[in-house]
Amino acid sequence: MMDDEIAILKTKLLEKEGELADLKRKLDQMEKGNSRLTVLHESVTDLPPLKSHTTLSNEDIMRYSRQLLLPELGVQGQVSLSNKSVLVVGCGGLGCPLAQYLAAAGIGRLGLLDYDVVELSNLHRQVLHTELTLGQPKALSAAGAISRLNSAIHCVPYHLQLSRENAIQLIQQYDIVADCSDNVPTRYLVNDACVLTGKPLVSASALRMEGQLTVYNYRGGPCYRCLYPSPPPADTVTNCSDGGVLGVVPGIMGCLQALEVLKIASGQGSSFEKQLLMFDGQEGRFRSIRLRAKQAGCAVCGETPTVTKLQDYERFCGSAATDKCRRLNLLTKEQRVSVQEYKEILDSSTPHLLLDVRPKVEVDICCLKTSITFHLLVWRRRNLNRSRC
Amino acid sequence: MNTEVSILYFAKSAELTGLKSEIITVSSNVTSEQLWQHLEEKHPRLTVIRDQVVLAVRQEYVPLSGQPLTLREGDEVAVIPPLSGG
Repeated sequence: MMDDEIAILKTKLLEKEGELADLKRKLDQMEKGNSRLTVLHESVTDLPPLKSHTTLSNEDIMRYSRQLLLPELGVQGQVSLSNKSVLVVGCGGLGCPLAQYLAAAGIGRLGLLDYDVVELSNLHRQVLHTELTLGQPKALSAAGAISRLNSAIHCVPYHLQLSRENAIQLIQQYDIVADCSDNVPTRYLVNDACVLTGKPLVSASALRMEGQLTVYNYRGGPCYRCLYPSPPPADTVTNCSDGGVLGVVPGIMGCLQALEVLKIASGQGSSFEKQLLMFDGQEGRFRSIRLRAKQAGCAVCGETPTVTKLQDYERFCGSAATDKCRRLNLLTKEQRVSVQEYKEILDSSTPHLLLDVRPKVEVDICCLKTSITFHLLVWRRRNLNRSRC
Repeated sequence: MNTEVSILYFAKSAELTGLKSEIITVSSNVTSEQLWQHLEEKHPRLTVIRDQVVLAVRQEYVPLSGQPLTLREGDEVAVIPPLSGG
């Protein structure tokens, strides 16, 4: 009788000890989650090395079971993911879906870099941010969403502008870099820093209904400069704030980027180190262009490089490292009419002709009732065709 | 000998030409430089992207050079300027 009671008590005690351990683990996780969220990095510091794993826990096996079943990944691949760190440069339309899938898949450490704050016009494509995080630094907003998805990921939010001063110190701490930026100077900066530190660069871009993807500086493939040795003139670059973008298009490109990062991180290699993948959302078509190997004459990854340290990329490109302020070529004050002056013309019923020369989509958003639309671009094109005939 | 090839315009080049594609007739042993020159003459606004454009013939990158392309009837030539948005 006594023996039975002792056995029952022992079993109960074991159960309670198990529950206690479970509660301690949950508390630990929540505390870790909280402390991570509060640490927003505003400068680059050296992080402690990522804790190395050789096996998966029972919880890992449950969580990642559906991808563990893939022979292409398996236990080795999953362990490898947990030992890798990825720097996401830009937490916008590309960076959000990319970071989301990397966190879901169990990447060990995610650096999330962005200098902007969340705005309402971001939410149609930057799917980690919400109405509740409007006004927050994007890096912090993204880190919050990532931690809620997978608290085991070590998430490092950086609210800072990547620059020639901090890029090397930051990038050398990560295994793989994903370029999700929105401007040309940052693309050259990230490329050069990846070449100088020997990191693979999984790069994507998107505008309107189109996207592009290439993996640079990986297994003998070209770098960004091999393909584009000289930057485009600043006034020929269209960005998302001017040209527009359908949210799901960067979403698709960011997901493809995540796939390539996961393949590289798990040791499967990439399909795009010598390929340029183009996506045309309008036609629903993918095309893949075979690229040349890295170029011996490349200024940064070639045999006799002239770029051996980081440069002033805003000067090199003649544009700012942002997709917001662009250089405007304003007419002189005498050649311009202010809204106040125009109102006076209207109020005094002065005979006049007001031409609205903006593209049709902009006129559809708003226009003045007294104006006549006259699409400048269409007219220019017609004129050009006529002059050739 | 002349041959008909399709030119596909992507990103900025589609905006500059106002076209997504067109069929042109060129000499089959035209060089990539001559082909680009031909496109610039047809669409002068393309000049601004000359230094950044990726030209691909039969889905393979070709540098702008004096090498003949040996184009075949119906070949696709893609004009691909870089995108930088994200």
